[in-house]
Amino acid sequence: MIEVKEPKRIPLIGSLQGMYTVFKHLFKKPITVQYPEEKAYTPARFKFRIFLSMDDCVGCTLCEQVCPNLSIRMIVVERNNPHNKRNLYPQVNFGTCTVCRNCEEICPTEAIYLTHELETARTRNNFFYSPEELQKTESEVKK
Amino acid sequence: MAEWTEVNFGPQHPSMHGVLRLRVKLDGEIVKEVEPIIGYLHRNAEKIGELQFYCDNMIYFDRMDYVAAMNMEVGYLEAAEKLLDIEVPERAQWIRVMMAELNRIASHLVWLGAFGLDLGMLTPFFYCFKEREKILKIFTEVSGSRQQLNYMSIGGVYQDVTDEALDHIRTFIKEFPKELNKIESLFVKNDVFISRTKGIGVLSKEMAIDYGVTGPMLRASGVEYDVRKAQPYLVYDKVNFDIPVSFKGDNLARFLVRVEEMRQSIKIIDQTVQKLPAGPYFNQKAKKPLMIRLRGQGEVYARTESPKGEFGVYLIGDGSLRPYRVRVRSPTFKNLSVLPALAKDQMIADLISIGGSIDLVFGEVDR
Amino acid sequence: MNILTRLQLFFQITGHYASYFLAYIFETIFFLIFVVIALIAMIYIFRKYMARLQLRIGPNRVGKFGLLQLIADALKLVGKESIIPKLRDDFAYKAAPYIVFIGLVVGFVLIPYGSFYWIGSLTITHSNVSLILFFGAIAMMPIGEVLAGISSHNKYAVIGAFRGIAKDVSFEVPMMISAVALVMMDSALSRTPLNFETLVSTQFIPFGILQPLGLFVFMVAMIARSSYTPFDLAESDSEIVSGYSTEYSGMRFGLFYMGMFGSIFLGSLVVSLLYLGGFNGPYSSYAGFVYLLIKGLILVLISFLIWLSMPRIRVDRFINFGWKILLPISIINLIWAGFLTLGVIS
Repeated sequence: MIEVKEPKRIPLIGSLQGMYTVFKHLFKKPITVQYPEEKAYTPARFKFRIFLSMDDCVGCTLCEQVCPNLSIRMIVVERNNPHNKRNLYPQVNFGTCTVCRNCEEICPTEAIYLTHELETARTRNNFFYSPEELQKTESEVKK
Repeated sequence: MAEWTEVNFGPQHPSMHGVLRLRVKLDGEIVKEVEPIIGYLHRNAEKIGELQFYCDNMIYFDRMDYVAAMNMEVGYLEAAEKLLDIEVPERAQWIRVMMAELNRIASHLVWLGAFGLDLGMLTPFFYCFKEREKILKIFTEVSGSRQQLNYMSIGGVYQDVTDEALDHIRTFIKEFPKELNKIESLFVKNDVFISRTKGIGVLSKEMAIDYGVTGPMLRASGVEYDVRKAQPYLVYDKVNFDIPVSFKGDNLARFLVRVEEMRQSIKIIDQTVQKLPAGPYFNQKAKKPLMIRLRGQGEVYARTESPKGEFGVYLIGDGSLRPYRVRVRSPTFKNLSVLPALAKDQMIADLISIGGSIDLVFGEVDR
Repeated sequence: MNILTRLQLFFQITGHYASYFLAYIFETIFFLIFVVIALIAMIYIFRKYMARLQLRIGPNRVGKFGLLQLIADALKLVGKESIIPKLRDDFAYKAAPYIVFIGLVVGFVLIPYGSFYWIGSLTITHSNVSLILFFGAIAMMPIGEVLAGISSHNKYAVIGAFRGIAKDVSFEVPMMISAVALVMMDSALSRTPLNFETLVSTQFIPFGILQPLGLFVFMVAMIARSSYTPFDLAESDSEIVSGYSTEYSGMRFGLFYMGMFGSIFLGSLVVSLLYLGGFNGPYSSYAGFVYLLIKGLILVLISFLIWLSMPRIRVDRFINFGWKILLPISIINLIWAGFLTLGVIS
């Protein structure tokens, strides 16, 4: 246990010291990052967009079960995939996705994964990404 | 009383933190009655917790005290791991302590800046957020998110700390004490700040215990109680730190206790970085598909020390995949309950000052 | 030679009366342009300066270095819908912002500006009692603020207005006493000590050096007059929303906003005139105005620094401060000035 004490201060001089400390910041470099022109430092683990590799997906529905916000729904896509007999593929609603990364964590074949792609502005009409769209990058989806 | 003016210090009003609404009765400049009205941020987190798997609850606990998400995760996992009977590897425990203490600093920095804003100091807020940004960068490096992290999982942590993140932490603990001294001196050397905080909102020891106040507010009132010491969890019994205590109980004491707590957190982080053992960071029993196949039986209560106070989680498992009951003892809710008693017969300016010193985060009060 | 005669010489071709008429009109126009540019520059400087102290960049999107940002903001304020409360006291509600702004403009009219280049003196008013007129003009601004608070039928605004009255009463008495000390000292130096211009130009050394206590009291009073952070009780945003201007929006709010920044600039100019020598200095018949602007700007930057680094004082403590600290200090200063006047100057 340590008892905290009020530090010593000289009336008026202390306030002036504080003002001087603030004033010294005038000559320091601003820390603002002007976003669209300059990009902030984002580490490799800073992931956002969900991707799907449809060839690896086995349709086990684990990602649907683990998703806390029910953002992932399995839908049927007619496709010739020997691993995925039921033809079940995840469809993602990015409107409710909180990027908890549980789906990436639980996927047994690493078919569903997140990438570093961040700039994904969407309107409310196209939050739902079909399995085919999840395969493509954002710029291709927009086309 | 008819002649009292009734004023809202409400959710849209800029004076109060988050979405707290205060219905205040004023006699001129004197506050006669304060009635906090809460519930504007109620998100049903406890009920939602009963509807999903144990591992999914994490993101809802992240959003309880959204400025100290790591501490919330630690609190939930203390309970969940006890219920599910899962051991946590040594390395994961040390990582958890490291992250929880980093987030404690981040939370206190947010409070420090907001307290300055409450009193009308515009500038220290930005210095506090500049320091907090460094912590968020470490979190991004480690977990991939800034605030709502979902980093810890049942049985360990999802991802190991990288060497890069450790380097960031080392530079942070080297630079931060100097910056903290600077920020503190902006406050405590200022005459007006002292006049706004010293002797204002005195919470006596007995009153603090009666109201169930915990955390820095309780320690500022002269009770040496910290869950990290009183009932050590994780590896807090293996690290060396002190509990800052003040016997004054006023706003200034709360300020000083929180600032000193940040210094102690730095001390803890320093030790965790040095002593971090090698080994697995994840219990294989709870990995991959198994993480949604965990069944718990019985009931368990675990308490941890969040930046705001004692954070308790009560879980009942009925042998199914989902918890039967989730109940949270949120520290800010209890701390807020003393505001009407403290602000009575004080001035409006003191009401704001006392409200700021409580450290309100509404995600946790309303849940 | 002053600006009026220069203008009259320029318009001489139109005849005697017409030339004076045109000269007065153009003097007014130039003056209003000066005030508006000064206010816009003040707000721009404040925003940039605040941003840099807080490690930000500040406005930098509209125009080069964000220079046009303020014009964009002004256009936004003009174009905005003015939401007015239903239960207002109509005339008082609408008149209040103009009272504040007119008080500010009249204050600017009455202070001397010194000489500049070949134009000569830029001073507009040549009254023998312009100091008294000046204090009368800046005493108009609290009236507007109080009217705004009471007429807008809002509890926060009323509390703000009451706080404003309490604040104004407690700092204006010490302010006037310290001004009296100046006049007393100057009465030994000139025959018209109430004339603002002679009061400044007869300062052989800046009066702030002779009366440091008076400088302190007057500076505090000017901070309180412009009501920024240590003393912004009447409009403290974290307590009573926005005080007396809570219910104002659009251009009426803009007038209050400009009144606030204008009174910071006005206060800085007045402090530098009364206590720091104003436009006195080498070659003051050519560059006096520049000295005044530089001193004023330095004081403005100091004021902003105080604004950004101090918390807000509580209302009862401010009243105590005014009556129990500032008033005795200003009386001590008055006695000290009396000794100086009798013993040293005369």
